[in-house]
Amino acid sequence: MNGTDTDDPKMKLTEIDRILGTEAPLIPTSGFLASVMESVREEAAIPPPIPFPWKRAIPGILVAAGVLGWGAFEMIRHGLPAMGSSSVALPHLPAAAVQPVEQAGWVALALGISLLSWLLSRRLAGRSGLL
Amino acid sequence: MQPERHRAGLTHCKGTKSTMKTPTNAEEDLADPDITDVARVLAGDVNAFEGIVRRWQGPLINMAWRYCRDRGRAEDLAQEAFIRAWRGLAQWRRESSFSTWLFALAANVFRSDLKRFPTVNLPLDEIAEPSSPATQHHALAARFSADSVRRAVLALPRRYREPVVLFYFHEMDVAAAARTMDMPEGTLKARLSRARALLRRRFPHLETQHAEMELAALNTGKEA
Repeated sequence: MNGTDTDDPKMKLTEIDRILGTEAPLIPTSGFLASVMESVREEAAIPPPIPFPWKRAIPGILVAAGVLGWGAFEMIRHGLPAMGSSSVALPHLPAAAVQPVEQAGWVALALGISLLSWLLSRRLAGRSGLL
Repeated sequence: MQPERHRAGLTHCKGTKSTMKTPTNAEEDLADPDITDVARVLAGDVNAFEGIVRRWQGPLINMAWRYCRDRGRAEDLAQEAFIRAWRGLAQWRRESSFSTWLFALAANVFRSDLKRFPTVNLPLDEIAEPSSPATQHHALAARFSADSVRRAVLALPRRYREPVVLFYFHEMDVAAAARTMDMPEGTLKARLSRARALLRRRFPHLETQHAEMELAALNTGKEA
């Protein structure tokens, strides 16, 4: 290898250059163009993916994060004194277990939230044309 | 292989000035069929992509062929490159010519595909050096030499192989090869130099032959 080659590969043409530089071009097969266009049309026919509805999801995500945070806060608030007072963690029965009317209220509230969630999802899906 | 369109694209990219008339950007866009077709495709006309494929199918298949030396695979790779180009057409910002963008995209497709499914190559040292043409029929010997050298390119280490492939595909245009690889020209030149040294070491006979041919041509010229 000489210095000239490093500076400019065009400076000294060799037999290797001649061989690699002069190659008979391939002619595309007759069906190539049609094959590419068929694939492209298939791609074009696929509907674009539905973008995630961030605008609608963000309020729900914030509420869920708030509830989780509140839950965690409450657990820590009630759990820390209990851990301090007793070394053995005893199961603590909620008050709802001993008050059937209050328990029924919680169940009704859960069902109501589920119903609202279902109605909301149907409405959103209807707007998107999925239903 | 370098089609007329490819050359035109590079000229357009370099911004050559016309002394007769200075066309406006809009006129240039209308004159360039790639720009027109891309605009039509982006406006929703799928059939306009056919013009792009028609113009560039030859160069892309030949480029892929130089990467793998397998005709069927070369067409598959070129088709994959066209589909990627279709998907990413909106990403062409016209900062470079369409050909530069398309070749760079195709090189990425070929590179990643060959990384996943490498071609079966002999090590460089195991590729037979052709014997002296004097002992064989000249045309046959020349063809054998050419085949050996081309197979030897695929046996080069990966970092040297692609610069060689693209340098000769772009008709020994370092700048075009560097643009396609998205690599500084200096780096490409250094790798090219190293690759050519490896090939020369592998085929010393060809160098001697070339020198003899040059000497013979010189003598013939003097006699004339």
